[in-house]
Amino acid sequence: MTVLAVRGLTKHFAGVPALRGVDLDVEEGSVHALLGGNGCGKSTLIKALAGVGPGDDGEIAVAGQLHAAPAMTPRHAREAGLRFVHQQLSIFPDLSVAENLAIGHGWEAGRTGRIHWRSQNRRARDLLDRFGVPVYPRQLAGASSVATQTMICIARAMQDLEQAGVLVLDEPTSSFPPAQVDQLLAFVREFVGHGHSVVYVTHRLDEVVRVADRATIMRDGLVDVHVERDELTHDRLSRAIIGPAVRSAGTSVSARREPPAGPASVVVDGLAGGPVVGASFALRPGEIVGLAGLLGSGRSSLLKLLFGALPATAGTVEIDGRPFRPAGPGAAMRAGVAYIPEDRQADAAFASLSVGENLSLATSGEYFRRGRIRHRAEAAAARRLVGDYHVKTTSTRAAMGTLSGGNQQKVVLARWLRRDPRLLLLDEPSQGVDVGARAEIWHLVRHAVDQGATALVATSDLDELATFCDRALVIRSGRIADEVAPADMSEHTLQSRAFGIDQEAS
Amino acid sequence: MTTHATTEPEAVEPTSALASAPTVTARAERRWSSYVEALALPAVTVVIAAFFSLWPETSDYFLTSANLTVLLGSQTVVAVIALGALVPLIAGQWDLSVGAVAALAAVLTAQALADGVALALALALGIGAGVLIGVVNAFITTRVGVNAVITTLGMATILDGVINQRTGGIAVFGDIPLAVVEFGTGTFLGLPRTVYAVAVVALLVYYLLDHTPYGRYLYALGVNPSAAALVGIRVRLVLSVSFVLAGALAATGGLLQLARAGGADPNVGAGFALPALAAAFLSAASIRPGRYNVGGTLVAILFLAVLNNGLNLAGTPPYTSSYVNGAALILGVALAAWLGRRNSSA
Repeated sequence: MTVLAVRGLTKHFAGVPALRGVDLDVEEGSVHALLGGNGCGKSTLIKALAGVGPGDDGEIAVAGQLHAAPAMTPRHAREAGLRFVHQQLSIFPDLSVAENLAIGHGWEAGRTGRIHWRSQNRRARDLLDRFGVPVYPRQLAGASSVATQTMICIARAMQDLEQAGVLVLDEPTSSFPPAQVDQLLAFVREFVGHGHSVVYVTHRLDEVVRVADRATIMRDGLVDVHVERDELTHDRLSRAIIGPAVRSAGTSVSARREPPAGPASVVVDGLAGGPVVGASFALRPGEIVGLAGLLGSGRSSLLKLLFGALPATAGTVEIDGRPFRPAGPGAAMRAGVAYIPEDRQADAAFASLSVGENLSLATSGEYFRRGRIRHRAEAAAARRLVGDYHVKTTSTRAAMGTLSGGNQQKVVLARWLRRDPRLLLLDEPSQGVDVGARAEIWHLVRHAVDQGATALVATSDLDELATFCDRALVIRSGRIADEVAPADMSEHTLQSRAFGIDQEAS
Repeated sequence: MTTHATTEPEAVEPTSALASAPTVTARAERRWSSYVEALALPAVTVVIAAFFSLWPETSDYFLTSANLTVLLGSQTVVAVIALGALVPLIAGQWDLSVGAVAALAAVLTAQALADGVALALALALGIGAGVLIGVVNAFITTRVGVNAVITTLGMATILDGVINQRTGGIAVFGDIPLAVVEFGTGTFLGLPRTVYAVAVVALLVYYLLDHTPYGRYLYALGVNPSAAALVGIRVRLVLSVSFVLAGALAATGGLLQLARAGGADPNVGAGFALPALAAAFLSAASIRPGRYNVGGTLVAILFLAVLNNGLNLAGTPPYTSSYVNGAALILGVALAAWLGRRNSSA
């Protein structure tokens, strides 16, 4: 029996179609995998189901109840028994498991508002038993593994459902070590055994093969292929996702360069600090090098070490043959290092300062001549940068916070690239950036690298990494454990290398 | 799965920047509304002044030169102290010790003069004490890591003890050189001489904030300390200097008070801290809305002075000024916060 049916769902963003008439049927008590490359419309489809970004046209039927897609609201989705657990877990690590569960539901409180901890914990115990989550109610949620935390989130999402529901898991395992993937997959199978249904969104084909009853592959806002259980093989899925292979190979080759000849400009030897225990590698001018690794592998920390934002405990760095001790951001900047942090709002943008001020903060000394800041020259330079970097803003005097995420990122990029850095460190450069700006940002990085700089880019989006980087370093447990040569650059290779699986049979 | 590019870097149009050029009307409208925001509080001040000049209850006295001299002269001390508090405030740090520093500087200098120390040395002693206290505040907040409110509150309390120990609670008068008293009480071109001192200090602070990289660093720190560190700003150094400047300026305010009163009253200093901080906070409501700034500080002081002076002349009971000052502070800062939010998110 079909528990969730989508018919002819469409959605446009500023006239650009994101969904072009999607049909989907999810059978009751089954795991239905939803697959596709980045920008294929998976996330848009999920948002339309959740009612947070309703579709333009089409119908959604849940448990026999029909909704017009544009009228879908989060409340409708909830009442119909649709539940969502996202990649970024909404766990409060410093609260107990019981408290985490109560936050989505309500507290067992007396008339005076006092919480009855005993019944609260008993309720949590029952819930955890019902779903088979291996934790104690009083335990701190942050102390359990990511797999268990995901299970807690699932239990929390499903706790107030009387009937069987549909759970959408959005890339649940993206930051999991392999052993925990097994735990979660077993949990999901058990879960559907109780009559619930699961829509399982993932990039990982091996998980689909192991857990799914059926798979739907999306591409360019359309459902491309349905694959039934008996056809679910790694090979079948990868062919379906890659699609007409020649076309995508064409784009990637044009974006990527052969490694430039010549000596290395950046040599790092045994760099350690924080979770990084000893990173050694060399980078040549003119290349964009990706840094692939799982969450917690030391990916972001390595960039911070190179910029001096995290103190190094050991190791040496050489830039253009000169030894450089990353003692702090100031020293790193003088050595020609630029760093664009992952969290733009917290670590890069000055929201209430103007675009012009944001552009010049890493260059302030330059316009300070004869005891004054040359405001006119500075403003002229800011206007030129806004033009050169395609920043969409009403003026350079507009506050940074009024710009979109992509445009803010371009301002941050311009702030650093105007310094002509030798080594450009980027951490998740296209996070929170729309697709158009993402391409522009990569284009700007490529342009800087063509002028002789070197870029080291850490990103969790391996598809993006495979598309835009020339080669990749793989960081595992704080060490550069592997390297992916230009010819091998693919999301799949990067993924398996990041996990330390040498080569999968495919 | 392999490379599956949904977008190509080649797709970037080099001319797309032109599409973002703002239309002339949008720019003009924005400019017009920003002038209104910037000048609303000064305009209100003028309206209030005009009202008191015309209102029969106060019109006999308000616009007399004697009253205006008192009105302006009485605010010069708090203005200089407020400019001192403004510097660390921009970087997000509250210095609650400015009032006590002013009092200490006045007492130390007055006692030195009474002991026959040369004028220049006595003044340097007062300013030096302010600088030293700024250094201590800076060390405790940036190196030991104690919150600035706590540090400077504790410092203010300690200084209160120092002042009372040194004076026995009795005002220090006598042996103040005539030149000092004349500067404090005399007028030049119809304005109290201390007003020119405020103008000089205000220009210096304005120059520092708007025309040197240091000022930029202060604002950057106040907006986003983490990002400031990551653009190479030496956070602890910038903050330390701001506390030292606050100490030096507060001490200068104390010396102005000494000149105006012809002596140092140990009980006066603490009373300056809150009005000075209030003016620094209120500075974000005008001239450059949403940002603490020099012009806004002076406007805030004038606004409150005109209002209080007029009500005083009208014979309202003294407690009225508490209502007025408190309400003006809350409303003004609420306005500034609203302007700041509106201007930094579309």
